[in-house]
Amino acid sequence: MPSLAEILVAGCLLLGTFLIVVTGLGLLRFPDVFCRMHAAGKAGTLGVVTIILGTVIAFAGTEHDVSVRGLLAIVFQFLTSPAATHLLARASYLCDYPLSDRTAVDELKVFLPSRPDQVVYHE
Amino acid sequence: MSPFLYAVTVTCLAALLLSGAMVLYRMIIGPKAADRAVAFDTLTMIFIGIICVLSIQWQSALYFDAVWILTLVGFLGSASIARYLEQGRLF
Repeated sequence: MPSLAEILVAGCLLLGTFLIVVTGLGLLRFPDVFCRMHAAGKAGTLGVVTIILGTVIAFAGTEHDVSVRGLLAIVFQFLTSPAATHLLARASYLCDYPLSDRTAVDELKVFLPSRPDQVVYHE
Repeated sequence: MSPFLYAVTVTCLAALLLSGAMVLYRMIIGPKAADRAVAFDTLTMIFIGIICVLSIQWQSALYFDAVWILTLVGFLGSASIARYLEQGRLF
């Protein structure tokens, strides 16, 4: 019978792995680059943070205590990953990357009249 | 370590490798540079997950420093690719 800490660690690891698999699936299936950034920026970040949290719980109380480094990694991940995704999305919008033909709203188009019209995305 | 936790880590490793294969496929076929940059970002996350799961399986925190270093270096990579795409230069 596994102890309570082991069940907690297993839950964290399985949840994080599930979120990362969902990220990979979204990266594979979504139609344009902005949708893919949506998958990578949200589900991926939460999955990595959950796996790091599981590792911190697994090593808490043993002689390999990683709580400080683990919390540092979680804070860095939450700070840097949305910023990087935002920078990439802005750069690819400014570089006239085509949107998917199923895009409903494009509010940034008003401020960038030089951007070409809706192009059908070629797979 | 208990057989229960060992089975969980093996399952997680298999699922992470499956996800890594999907991301690598996107990195190969990705139509333009930004797709490959997003795939690279996600691949860094998968590496971090694999390192965490392996350090639980081996009961050793020797490689855990690589985790928070990879978070910083992954951000630098994505930010510099975005700046290069947007302005055509790095500095």
